[in-house]
Amino acid sequence: MKWYQTNKPAVLLIPALLFLLMIVYSLVMAFAESIRSPEGWTWQYYADLFRQSQLIESLGYSLLITVVSVFFSVLIGWGVVRWFSSFIDEPAGKWLVWIPMLFPHFVWGYFILLLLGQSGLVSSFLYQAGWLSSREAFPVFTQDPYGIGIIITYLWKEIPFVILMLLPAYLQLPKQYGEVISVLGGGRKEWFKTVEWPWVQPVIVEITLILTAFIFTAYEVPALLGISYPQMTAVLAYEWFYGAAWEERSYAFGLLCIIAFILGAIALLSFTLMNRRRWLLSKSSHQY
Amino acid sequence: MKKRLIGTAGILLLAGCNMTSGDQPDQELSELSWDEITAEAEGDTVRLYMWGGDEGINRYIDEYAAPALQEEYDVTLERIPLDTNEIIQKLETEKRAGQDDGTIDIIWMNGENFKRAKEGELLYGPITDQLPAFEEFYDTESLDFAYDFGTETEGYEAPWGKVQFVFHYDSSKIEEPPSTLEELSSWIQENPGRFTYPAADDFTGNAFLRHILYGTASSVDTLLEEPFSEEFAAQEASGMWGYLNEIESDLWRGGETYPGTLEELDRLYSQGEVWMTMGYNEARAESLVADGIFPETTKAFVLEDPGSIGNTHFLSIPYNSPSKEAALTAINFFLTPEAQLAKLDPQYWGENTPINPSKLQGEDQAAFEELDRGGTVLSQEELLESFVPEVDAAYVPWLEDAWINEVVSD
Repeated sequence: MKWYQTNKPAVLLIPALLFLLMIVYSLVMAFAESIRSPEGWTWQYYADLFRQSQLIESLGYSLLITVVSVFFSVLIGWGVVRWFSSFIDEPAGKWLVWIPMLFPHFVWGYFILLLLGQSGLVSSFLYQAGWLSSREAFPVFTQDPYGIGIIITYLWKEIPFVILMLLPAYLQLPKQYGEVISVLGGGRKEWFKTVEWPWVQPVIVEITLILTAFIFTAYEVPALLGISYPQMTAVLAYEWFYGAAWEERSYAFGLLCIIAFILGAIALLSFTLMNRRRWLLSKSSHQY
Repeated sequence: MKKRLIGTAGILLLAGCNMTSGDQPDQELSELSWDEITAEAEGDTVRLYMWGGDEGINRYIDEYAAPALQEEYDVTLERIPLDTNEIIQKLETEKRAGQDDGTIDIIWMNGENFKRAKEGELLYGPITDQLPAFEEFYDTESLDFAYDFGTETEGYEAPWGKVQFVFHYDSSKIEEPPSTLEELSSWIQENPGRFTYPAADDFTGNAFLRHILYGTASSVDTLLEEPFSEEFAAQEASGMWGYLNEIESDLWRGGETYPGTLEELDRLYSQGEVWMTMGYNEARAESLVADGIFPETTKAFVLEDPGSIGNTHFLSIPYNSPSKEAALTAINFFLTPEAQLAKLDPQYWGENTPINPSKLQGEDQAAFEELDRGGTVLSQEELLESFVPEVDAAYVPWLEDAWINEVVSD
């Protein structure tokens, strides 16, 4: 019992450590699979990967969809919080934001398919109302080459997430600084520059990181709403993994290792930058 | 502390016993008589891993086969739906992890999956010479059972069914379906957006491509006789890529995308977006029409030129099946005339049987002859006339990759 008292923090950390161990283990195993061929260790799979136009286009396509989805999710979510934070804090507003969060991504994606597909609800309605000459005249929003359906699904799901993440930051904004600024003759611009932006910037960076990692590696929505070519990276990796050809499995592992490496590097970089900021903040004598 | 030690020792001992008693019957299984095997199987559970994408097939297993097997042999049948290549991967992983006590008892498969399983030594066998039903009712010398997509079966799989590739169309929209590849191509041009086929990594999509390959290669016989090599395949396939690229702009969505699976193509067909669907089972539309998914005006056709590819599909036992006796019992049951007759019934599966009808006796024979397979199923003569066998299994993964490069990516 005494031992437990003194080592309590360590004991409490065990589950987290075990979890971390599992992640590291699976990363190492995946990497091992990607450099192991029937003839022994090899870098051949990585060399092959970068020669495949399928992979290059897939990375570009995923990146485009990720950047667009994340950018607009953050922008719209942020705008909503800035101008409607007091409304969202009320029960009715909270519900409005919460409802899209309750549905899994896949359900939402399927909903988009049923709603916006060429034989979906909207096109059928327009056709029946006489506004469309045929259902095929409805523009292609799902399974389209630009990933519009995928982006719509993500916007619909991630904007509420951004709102919920940013809302506490806005509710706790130190309002008294506003008075200081106006006494010193500053306007809205100064308020934003000296108070609001430094206050919410860490949260926004964090949200951007989470969403980027999530969307860049997502499988279910692109599998449902994407097209045959190009495919998002996770869909491509899945197909390689389960394809009939044996060596493609190693490509899948290689591709996933590359993605893990890219995301890890981005996260590490931004955390280092953020920590420097936090350190500077802690050196100042301000107490909010 | 002492107690725990004894407990551990006990468990180890038990585990040891288990190992030996588990290993023993394996080695002697081939020496057991059929009665001894079924006696061993009593009370056991058999896990049948199989593709689960067809409602009619699933109902056949759950509503007919499982209760019948339980009653007749006291064997519990569990159906576990999984794509076949995923089943093989699961088995490969188990083999690499040295798991001698697996989770799979029976696999339903053929073609490139069998080739991979056999080459990876993942199967138990040979099994067919132990199955009384196979010996009694099947043409054991038939080439249909000796080769599976060009791979010698050597008794490692038992024939379960026989299917042929057919197209289904809505006869209220199409009066005269095409009967050759040229007619199909001109039909697609006249009806833009009304035809598509599943992507090449889908089982059905790949089979569709093999039809095009047959129709555009120098000759079907050379394709069947010449062993597979990438150079030969590329040379024979140039006509196929030409054909596919030519029709592409008139496909559904202008060929910008293809349905990822047969289920997706079926959905498009049932919504009227496309007017044709297809499938590697000449009777599969029966239950879909009955359930109201497909329109009642659905009918079938085959291409007379290049014909319709048909094949046999099989049941196998993995090397590490925990109850091989029960697996053998179940497979034998699936091969009996009564189970095959129920399978032919369009209410469930409606699939053709590999049984040799001349080996059946009076009542059984009559029952097979009398069964009405339904309005969407082509006559036996029509199917036989257009029948062509499968190519080498190596074409399947090759087509998957080449299709992406030659057709989709440009």
